[in-house]
Amino acid sequence: MGFRAIFIRELRRLACRPIYLFTMIIVPIGCAIFFVSLLDEGLPTKVPTAVVDHDNSLLSRQIIRDLGASELINIDSHLDSYHEALESVRSGKVFGFFIIPDDFEKDAVAGRSPSISYYCNMAYFIPGTLTFKGFKTIAVSTTGSLARVQLVSAGMNDNATGALIQPLAVQDHPIGNPWSNYPIYLCNSFAAGVLALMILLVTAFSICEEIKRATSIEWLATARGSMIVALLGKMLPHTVIFSAVGIFMQSLFYGYNHYPLNGSEWVMALAMVMFVVACQAFALFVCCLLPNLRLALSVVSLLGVLSFSITGFSFPLENMYGAVAIFSYIIPVRYYFLIYIDQALNGIALYYSRYYFVALAIFPLVASTMLWRLKKACITPIYVS
Amino acid sequence: MEIEKSVYNPDLCIIEENKMNRAIKNIKSWWLSLFSVWRREFYIVTHDGGVMLFFLFLPLLYPILYTLIYNKELVEEVPFVVVDDSYTPKSRELVRMADATPEMQLVGYASDMAEARRWLNEKACYGIMYIPSDYSRKLANKEQAVVPFYYDMSLLMRYRSFMEALTNIQIAIGDSERQSLLNEVGELSSGLNVTAINSQAFILGDLTQGFASFVIPGVLILIIQQSMILGIVMLCGTSRDRRRRNSVIEPLAIEAPAMAAVLGKSLCYVMIYIPLSLYMLHFVPLMFGLPHVGSMVEIILFILPFLFASAFLGLVLQAFVSERETSFLVIVFTSLIFLFLSGLTWPRYAMDFPWRQLSDIIPATWGVEGFVNINSNGATLSHVSTPYTILWCLTGIYFIIASLLWKYTKNEQ
Repeated sequence: MGFRAIFIRELRRLACRPIYLFTMIIVPIGCAIFFVSLLDEGLPTKVPTAVVDHDNSLLSRQIIRDLGASELINIDSHLDSYHEALESVRSGKVFGFFIIPDDFEKDAVAGRSPSISYYCNMAYFIPGTLTFKGFKTIAVSTTGSLARVQLVSAGMNDNATGALIQPLAVQDHPIGNPWSNYPIYLCNSFAAGVLALMILLVTAFSICEEIKRATSIEWLATARGSMIVALLGKMLPHTVIFSAVGIFMQSLFYGYNHYPLNGSEWVMALAMVMFVVACQAFALFVCCLLPNLRLALSVVSLLGVLSFSITGFSFPLENMYGAVAIFSYIIPVRYYFLIYIDQALNGIALYYSRYYFVALAIFPLVASTMLWRLKKACITPIYVS
Repeated sequence: MEIEKSVYNPDLCIIEENKMNRAIKNIKSWWLSLFSVWRREFYIVTHDGGVMLFFLFLPLLYPILYTLIYNKELVEEVPFVVVDDSYTPKSRELVRMADATPEMQLVGYASDMAEARRWLNEKACYGIMYIPSDYSRKLANKEQAVVPFYYDMSLLMRYRSFMEALTNIQIAIGDSERQSLLNEVGELSSGLNVTAINSQAFILGDLTQGFASFVIPGVLILIIQQSMILGIVMLCGTSRDRRRRNSVIEPLAIEAPAMAAVLGKSLCYVMIYIPLSLYMLHFVPLMFGLPHVGSMVEIILFILPFLFASAFLGLVLQAFVSERETSFLVIVFTSLIFLFLSGLTWPRYAMDFPWRQLSDIIPATWGVEGFVNINSNGATLSHVSTPYTILWCLTGIYFIIASLLWKYTKNEQ
């Protein structure tokens, strides 16, 4: 009787239904592996692009060679007109194109300021941005190198011309992720998000199923009528399994893939366990408010999917509307994400992350205030189908 | 003669007629069963609150919620601090210029890098500009001045905003310094036009480079597919629940050939989703001023095979769900996988072998590609003929698989 009996009872329940194996282990780990292997290139460089060369001169061919040598873009096709290039963008074959006008070389040498233009399809953000960067670099350096040749030939000192091309150089120092590697940022946020989603679903499913199948009376009786003991015994096996899965994900990221881990792995593991408990508490809270399997599952799925956007993984919170951004503070994965930034990516003192740990610890406390509702539902299970 | 004989043979005539009648009767009953499946499905859907939540509430509300989250579009006024060791008019000018860009906002001067780092740790700023003591001197000496900038890399959007602003500043200061240098060189410059080549950048698709304008069109397609699949799987799970409770007899089932049943059901779902698609794909972009240059007719024509393919995919996936509630556990997380496979965030050309093939068989992949090209880039149906054709192929393939599964699971029971 008591805690141990419930613990063993829950282990038996988990072992009996393959859906638990699928949702607790296969899905989170499968998603982590999916993200890691899908994005293993770091950045989707070699964006397919096109050039339109109206000039066909030595200089224009030189520019096209420079474009081809760029690591960001790949010249997939040489087209004859602006129209043709635009068609190519519309049908999704290329993400941008570069146009060299008629008499380009002639005008450049004669100082008639010809204009090269480039077009980038920002409807696809990452390829569009990379295309823009690749084209811009070539356009600027072409301008610069041409000017340099002219100046040197006019008898100017070589050092001075260097400063002339780029008098001010901003030196980039991306802290923690010097490669501006996309998967480092994405795996840490989205894989944790998937884990959170699965914890919410499984917790709501396993608690409310007791009510649906009217096993909740026996469940509560085994705990000698104590809701807290009943829940602790039931949730602990989940906590252990999900924490193990979460820490396995961390080892996959930081160990196997060498994503930046500038802090302590123990702190990250602790954060993971607290994050798992916070997610369970969040689902428990929903179950207390809506002790009905269907409703609870609908609510946690709707919130779980929305949490990927509202926690500001990709779009910063301070740039959202305040009335929207405020909801991100009720989502546990937000705090895990912030801890990851401080402790793994930037590796700063634990002191700076103190509030995030406190926030994660608050979730179980809040959920525990609503247990009386769940108890009532457990004693009188009514399932409306 | 023989032919005439056979034609006028009355017995043969009757057999032929019977065959014909039977065939006509079969065809007629097939269509009738299709119609009654369709009608029954409508009844079931409209009397199921949970399914209505996913068929109506979710497509109506989620687009608005998502757009509200991202509606500010641009990451602007990202805070940064300055460590100014140069402390000259030139360095202050640089800081002023950075502060004046829409992307960056100065929150203060730090006395040294340690202090600046502390600001960064406390998230008071997301970037540090370090102006070295030789900054002014180098500019005056016509040497290249180097200004290190430290980015917080927690969000790539902030990094991108900083980069954009700093590149523009670099070019602007470069231009003015170059001009002053040329003025000093004097006569030499009169024969030279150093900025001999102009370059112009044009942005296509998402003209403002806003985040909502980029992500919402694709997300709309995913919402359609996922809400539809979830609703369908829930309906089928419920039907299995009913069957279990009623000792292997599903009271609401209609006796119909597999193909008629699958087609009838999917017609019901597609009919519900056509007005919803019109709302999501036409009115939502209009309401929020998202890119919307394509024609509405083309969008509806394009979306039709997508709806059918999604419905049939839902009817395929229902085979893996035995009860209503487990459909959440099995379907919801796939939204994330399908989002990344769709090529919206991570382009398809950069995907490797198994993932690219997997993304090929998901309707949303082609739905996103076609819809984004029509909606944001003004493509016509002929431009998106590849996704359009593939969507019809997927429709056919999933229809056959769904029918076979339907037949098989029926025999099993």
